[in-house]
Amino acid sequence: MRRTALILVIATGAFLLAFLIYPLLYSCRGAFVVNGHFSLAFFQYLYTDKLTRECIVNSLVLGCVVTVITAALALPLALVVARYSFPAKTLLTGLLLVPMIMPPFVGAIGMRHILARFGSLNLLFMDAGLMHSPVDWLGGARFWGVVIIEVLHLYPIMYLNFAAALANVDPSLEEAAVNLGSSGFRLFRKITLPLMMPGLFAGSVIVFIWAFTDLGTPLVFGYRRVVAVRIFDQVTELQNNPQGYALVVGVVALTALIYLAAKRLFGLRAYGSLSRGPVYGGEKRVRPLGACLIAAFVLGVVAIACLPHVAVVLTALQKDWFMSVVPSGYTLGHFHDALGHPLTLSSIRNSIGYSALSTVLDGVIGILVAYVLVRYAFWGSDMLDAMVMLPIAIPGLVLAFGYVATFSGTVLDPRENPVPLLVIAYALRRLPYMVRAAYAGFQQVNVQLEEAAINLGSPPLRAMRRVTVPLVSANLIAGGILVFSFAMLEVSDSLILAMKERFYPITKGIYVLIQRIEDGPYIASALGVWAMVFLALSLVAAGMLLGRRLGQLFRV
Amino acid sequence: MVSVSLRGVTKRYGETVAVEDVSFEVGKGELFFLLGPSGCGKTTILRLVAGFMQPDAGVICFDGRPIVSVPAHRRNTGMVFQSYALWPHMNVAENVAYGLRERRIERQEREERVRAVLRTVHMAQYRDRMPNQLSGGQQQRVALARALVIEPDVVLLDEPLSNLDARLRLDMRREIRRIHAETGITMLYVTHDQKEALSMAQRLAVMSMGRVEQLGDPRSVYRRPVNRFVAEFMGEANMIAGSLLGTGAGFGTLRTPLGDLRAALGAGRLSAADQAVCMVRPECLQLGNGHENAFRARVDSSVYLGEIEQFVLSAGGMELRAIQSNPGSGPAPVGRETQVHFSAEDAVLLPAERPPESSPPEAQGAGK
Repeated sequence: MRRTALILVIATGAFLLAFLIYPLLYSCRGAFVVNGHFSLAFFQYLYTDKLTRECIVNSLVLGCVVTVITAALALPLALVVARYSFPAKTLLTGLLLVPMIMPPFVGAIGMRHILARFGSLNLLFMDAGLMHSPVDWLGGARFWGVVIIEVLHLYPIMYLNFAAALANVDPSLEEAAVNLGSSGFRLFRKITLPLMMPGLFAGSVIVFIWAFTDLGTPLVFGYRRVVAVRIFDQVTELQNNPQGYALVVGVVALTALIYLAAKRLFGLRAYGSLSRGPVYGGEKRVRPLGACLIAAFVLGVVAIACLPHVAVVLTALQKDWFMSVVPSGYTLGHFHDALGHPLTLSSIRNSIGYSALSTVLDGVIGILVAYVLVRYAFWGSDMLDAMVMLPIAIPGLVLAFGYVATFSGTVLDPRENPVPLLVIAYALRRLPYMVRAAYAGFQQVNVQLEEAAINLGSPPLRAMRRVTVPLVSANLIAGGILVFSFAMLEVSDSLILAMKERFYPITKGIYVLIQRIEDGPYIASALGVWAMVFLALSLVAAGMLLGRRLGQLFRV
Repeated sequence: MVSVSLRGVTKRYGETVAVEDVSFEVGKGELFFLLGPSGCGKTTILRLVAGFMQPDAGVICFDGRPIVSVPAHRRNTGMVFQSYALWPHMNVAENVAYGLRERRIERQEREERVRAVLRTVHMAQYRDRMPNQLSGGQQQRVALARALVIEPDVVLLDEPLSNLDARLRLDMRREIRRIHAETGITMLYVTHDQKEALSMAQRLAVMSMGRVEQLGDPRSVYRRPVNRFVAEFMGEANMIAGSLLGTGAGFGTLRTPLGDLRAALGAGRLSAADQAVCMVRPECLQLGNGHENAFRARVDSSVYLGEIEQFVLSAGGMELRAIQSNPGSGPAPVGRETQVHFSAEDAVLLPAERPPESSPPEAQGAGK
């Protein structure tokens, strides 16, 4: 088995080197080597070119603003959910995760309707007499449109990380402080918050990187002066203009820098729990009024977070939506069109195919890697662990750009046939989830169960298949569902890698449809609703299989 | 059924030596015990025999055939794990039948053998239960049945009774002995419970810090330990220090604060004027007048337990423990002086130096 493990580690390492590390390094080379000579010229260009500089500043500001607002929203949510009981708690905390079921740029289609000059928001304000002339949200305030959409999409991830961090704070540590006379805000600031730092750090980094490199939302809002859109534009002229390389390397460098800075600032020390035996989480009962206020707060967040979804559903259902808060006529026609349209039909088929393949790939790699990591101590295990987790921090945008740059002109050229690279990109990006899910499962299976099977005559691989895999099947299925459904929703790599219409996956299909003036956005919305329903069902299924452990998959 | 022999077996985890130069042989059909405190390397030896790890040095043989290069799944050993390791997704019959399936035993014979072995362990009526519907003792029986049904060359038992409560443990001791007597299979049994070893073993090896301290049958190991570690690990022992006056005919005389005491010579080489201790077990100290090894002691306290009575005595500036069986009806003579004696046959002279007691950290987890 040691040999099997070794071969496996080498194979996985080779795969990750070829499709994760090598494209990144290749992009670096493109940025630093000009006409065969080492050069920093393009980085100078990043600084001196006014447009590029503006894009970088915009993206940084966007990332920071989204991170701060998301954290400000998620922290109180995590606190009240962890500490208080309130009406309909299970339902409401479940609904908090709803924004995850739709790629934010689809929500953006719906939000355009709401935020337009004569959109629902302005009309609502004017009807109420709070506003006299409409505000042009999408003209002067596209930035805020992007911020709102991204915050509403990303707060669940932040919330899950915070909740996990809070759950890891040993109540006896707080009790000790209370016992010594601390209470209220001081207790929170001096004891609870410092102990939560690793979770705060993890959530913030994920959210920042996501917002910093999100491509779909700025595109839909027409907020084009951000790094992601610049890189997207550069892909088409890779050969003759190496600026894209410099931008990509800049993004990677900045991401790494922010990661290190945040790590330094927050500290990544995980404080172990001191108490042994069961830990009784202090869920306090509050007076009915307080409980209702808390429930109202959570409900309010849920309601606002569902706004883009509602808007998308309305857009998909509308027959006539002009100068009114909600549509004045409804039709199911767009849903019908969405399933009948040649572009959508092929894109649905493609997406299912790509996602299924990437799920199989992730299943094989993820299960074996997780198994080896749980069961064996070997040289390089830390490195393998870090490598399979790295894709969490590598934006899809960067990966896709690297693929186009690296594999153009090879058999894998995405211009010819993007399928292998799309499948690999999906698989790589979601590999951490699969490894996490499988890892958690294997950890719970006592190694003696497997040894018992070996002892009775099973070769190691068969012992694993007959004993361990059945015991962790819930985890594996849940991991597979997550990989599959999130692969269906991959945006930036789909937009970049799928260049020919017959290879479009759903997200690219939606994106192309949006740009068609006439009925495009409506069909796109209908398609988005189908995707939403599908993803919601997947998540419910995964949640039923994993129970409370579902949240663990989205943490760093 | 095979004999199992280890010669010069050594296993290290990094810097820590878990098993050092261990040699012993388990005869065909023998019920052999490895006994020692946690971390002494006994479980490591069991796992080496099972093939879950490889020795760094030394040879392990089944019937004289070296088996170190044979992978675990081909060694035909039946292991009973401390945690039982019953597969929670299979019922009792499926658990038991697993090894038979691996051996491609036909369905009819398989069912026959499963039924038979479940009868042997008195679990026939539970064949369709899932493991989580069984009590600890029942799980134990299933684990045993699962190991026995494949008719292994040797059964390996890793602290099989440590998760059971005291009553059940006594029952299961009898059960395992009965099954051993019925099947006649070679068994290698690991435990830290010296009562378990004394009451069940045909022969045993006492281990400490990766080494075998003593090999022998229960009586000789209990009555004639080779050093202080074994003496104290096997049961309570009074250690009376002194210097050796002389030896002869297997006995020696020790000058002690209690007077000159005569006792059997142990395995350690002792010569005149050596510092030594006289080890005498509490149940061998008799209160009352006697001819041999008699001295006066004060009764400090007593605990009456019905079938026995325990005394704490002081004599010659040291504390001694004594146990009298069938205590009389009168009150204990607490606070009074009394005569105490023991038979030279019941005591043994051991080298004075005390082996270090600190044991290395529990090594059995290091390989996972």
